[in-house]
Amino acid sequence: MPVWLREHSWRQTLSAVYLSLPLRGARATPANIFCSEQYLKVSIPPFLFEAILYAPIDDTNSTAKIGNGNIFFTLYKKEPAMWDSLTLANADKDKLQDLRENAVLKAHEKAKEETEAKKITKQENKKYALEATMKLEEAERKRIEDLKEKERQKVAKELELWKNQQKDGDKYKSMQKKGTLHQEIEPLKQRKNEKMNKTQIPNEGTSKTRLKSTKGDGSCSIFSQNLKEELLPAPRAAATIKVNFTPRVFPTALRESRVAEEEEWLHKQAEARRIINSDLSELEDLKEEEKNPDWLKDKGNKMFAMGDYLGAVNAYNLAVKLNNKLPVLYLNRAACHLKLRNLHKAIEDSSKALELLTPPVPDNENARVKAHVRRGTAFCQLELYTEGLQDYEAALKIDPRNKNIEKDAEKIRHLIQGTVQSS
Amino acid sequence: MSAALGPERPQVVAHAQQALSYTVFDCKWVPRSARLLCLGSAARGTGVLQLYELHGARLELLREIEKPKPIKCGTFGATSLQQRYLATGDFDGNLNIWNLEAPEIPVYSVKGHKEIINSIDGVGGLGIGEGAPEIVTGSRDGTVKVWDPRQNDTPVANMEPVQGESKRDCWTVAFGNAYNQEERVVCAGYDNGDIKLFDLKTMSLRWETNIKNGVCSVEFDRKDINMNKLVATSLEGKFHVFDMRTQHPTKGFASVSEKAQKSTIWQVRHLPQNRDIFMTSGGSGSLHLWKYEYPAQRSKKDSEGSEMGVAGSVSLLQNVTLSTQPISSLDWSPDKKGLCVCGAFDQTVRVLIVTKLNKI
Repeated sequence: MPVWLREHSWRQTLSAVYLSLPLRGARATPANIFCSEQYLKVSIPPFLFEAILYAPIDDTNSTAKIGNGNIFFTLYKKEPAMWDSLTLANADKDKLQDLRENAVLKAHEKAKEETEAKKITKQENKKYALEATMKLEEAERKRIEDLKEKERQKVAKELELWKNQQKDGDKYKSMQKKGTLHQEIEPLKQRKNEKMNKTQIPNEGTSKTRLKSTKGDGSCSIFSQNLKEELLPAPRAAATIKVNFTPRVFPTALRESRVAEEEEWLHKQAEARRIINSDLSELEDLKEEEKNPDWLKDKGNKMFAMGDYLGAVNAYNLAVKLNNKLPVLYLNRAACHLKLRNLHKAIEDSSKALELLTPPVPDNENARVKAHVRRGTAFCQLELYTEGLQDYEAALKIDPRNKNIEKDAEKIRHLIQGTVQSS
Repeated sequence: MSAALGPERPQVVAHAQQALSYTVFDCKWVPRSARLLCLGSAARGTGVLQLYELHGARLELLREIEKPKPIKCGTFGATSLQQRYLATGDFDGNLNIWNLEAPEIPVYSVKGHKEIINSIDGVGGLGIGEGAPEIVTGSRDGTVKVWDPRQNDTPVANMEPVQGESKRDCWTVAFGNAYNQEERVVCAGYDNGDIKLFDLKTMSLRWETNIKNGVCSVEFDRKDINMNKLVATSLEGKFHVFDMRTQHPTKGFASVSEKAQKSTIWQVRHLPQNRDIFMTSGGSGSLHLWKYEYPAQRSKKDSEGSEMGVAGSVSLLQNVTLSTQPISSLDWSPDKKGLCVCGAFDQTVRVLIVTKLNKI
C-alpha cells in the first residue's frame, strides 16, 4: 500500500499554478514524475502523490524542479482562469480510473510523436550531410577536370605551333634544296658541256641533266644519295650464325606461372612411358598375348584351379607389372599366397586390393568381401585373431547374408574368448 | 617504386583518337612530319596501310593503301630523311620497302622467311648513326635475318637454329651499338624466354640469357651509341633493364627487373629525346611511364677481379589506362618531345601527349 503524500502546498496566478511537494526523505528522479494534461502523479515507492487537476494544463511547457527535499512544479494553465482548487473534488473512483488511463494513453501518444519527430529530423540531417559531401566531391572533381582541360588545350596549342613550324620548315628546306640543286647542276652542266664538246655525245649528257632537273624532289634525293653512297660502306659479307635454343618441350611460349603444371604433366608422361618401357626389355621374347594382363589373369586362374599355385603367382606377377591398377590381380594373388602359406604376402595383397577398391560401391561388393575374407584368414592363421575378426566383421557388414562368413566369425570369437578365459 | 611528387608528375593527355575498320598491328610516325602511319590486317585477310595527318584534335586520313597480305610490322629506321621509305614485314614472310608516294610496286622486295615476320627494325637511316643502312627481321620460323637494301635476295647475316634443333618463335628484334661504321649488334627475343645478342662485326653470338617468360619486346635506349641499356619485356607483366656497358665473362650483363602489371607487356619504347625515360604498354590496355636511375657506381670488381656491371633502379612516373584491349604498338615522335601514338586491339589508334617531361 502506497503512502500518500498529502502535505503539498500550492498557489496560483492567472496563467500558472505553482505546486510544492515535500518529499519525506525520498529521493526523486525525473522518472518518478508522470504528468499529462489533467493528471499529475509522483510515485517514489512507497510514497505516492496523485492529483486530478482542476483544469487542463500545458504539460509540454510545464516544469518540475527537484531539489532540497521537495519537488517544485510550475504548471502552465491551458486556459488562463483561477482555479477553485488544485484538484477536482468530486471525482469518483471510476472517473478517476478513466482519467488515469486517458492520461497514460496520452502520454504514450506523446512519446510516440516525439520519437517520430526525432526520426524525421535525424533523416533530414543525414540527407543534408550527404548532399553537402556530394557537393564537395563534385567541386573537387570539377577542379581536376578543369586542370586536365587546361593542360590539354595548352598542349594542343603547342602542337599546332610545332606543326606549322614543321610545314614552314619543310617548305623552306625544299626551296633551299632546289636552290642548291640548281647550283650543283650548273657546274655539272658546264662540265658535261665541256665533255660533250670533247667527245661529241651531245644527247646523252643533256638528256641526263634534264631528267634530273624535272624529277624535282625525287631527283634531288637520288642526287644527294649518290653523293652519300660513296661515303657508305659496302654491304656486309654474308654470313650465318648458328643458334641454340634453351630446350623446351612445348610449342607454346614459356610462362613462369605455368611451369609447375607443365612439369607435372611431363612427369606423368614419363611415368607412363617408363612402365611400358621397363617391360620391353624383359618381354621381348614373350608372345603378343602374354603381354595382355587379362590373358595372364585367366592363365593364372586356370593354374590356381589346377593347383599350380607358384605358376599362378608368376602369372599374376607379370600381369601386375603390366598394369598395377587392377584389383582383381592382387585379390587372386592373395588367394594363391594363402594356399602357399605366404601369409604376410597374402595380407599385403589383400590390402592392396582393398586400396584399389576404394570407392565402396555395390559393384565391387563381391571383390571387397573376398578381400576381407582372405585377409581375415591370413590373420587367423598368424594367430592374430582380433585383426582377423575385424576383417570378418567388415565382410559381414558388406554381405550380411553369407552363412559361411558368419560361421567363421563365430568360430574366431569363440577362439578369442577361449584364449582370454584360459590366460 | 616511388612516383614523382603530385602536381609535377608528367601527365598523359589523350589528344586524338581514330576508330579503324581493321586490326592495327603497328603504328609509326613519319619522320619530320605530323603524319603517322597505321599498318594492319583487314577483315578480309588483306594488308592495310593508312597515312593520317594530325589536324588539331583529329586525325585526317590522307592515303589508304591495300596490299595482298596482312602487314605485321614496319620501320623507317633504314631510310634517309629525304626518301622516307617504309620497310614492312608481312604475314607471309615478305620484306618489302615502299615509297609511299608510289606504293604500287615496292622499291625492294624479298621473301625473307617461311613464316610471319613478327618484328622488324632498321638502322643507319634518318641521319642517325653511321654505317650502312640495314634492316633486321625476326620471324616465327626461328630465324633472324639482316638485310641490306642494296643487296637483293640474300641476307647479309642469318641467325638460324642449328641443324636438327627444333625452332622457337622469334618475337622481337632490335639493333644497337651502331656507333661507328663497323660495329653493329642485333638483339633478339624468343618465345621460350631466350634473349640473344649477336655481334655483326665478328658474326658471333655475344651473349645469351633466359628470362623465364616469353620475350615480347626488346629495345636499346639508343641505337647509335655504345650499348648503354637494353629493356626486355615479357609475358606475365615483367620487364628487365640490362646495363650493357659492362659484360662479365660468366655472369653477362647486370639487370634489374620490375613486375608492373598482371598482364603481358607488349611493347617498350624509349623517349628519343631522353634515353632514361621509357614507356611500356600492357595487355590490360594501360601505359606506364618509367624512369631509370643509374646507380652510384656503374661497375664494380668481383672476387676474381673481373668487372661486372651494377644495375640501377626503375621508378614509375605515371600510368594510365586507355583501353580494355592490349595496346600492341607504341611510337614516340622523334620531332616533338612527348608526342606519341599507340595502337590497340580495340581497333583504335590514339595520339597522346605526355606533359612535363622537361622537368624530369
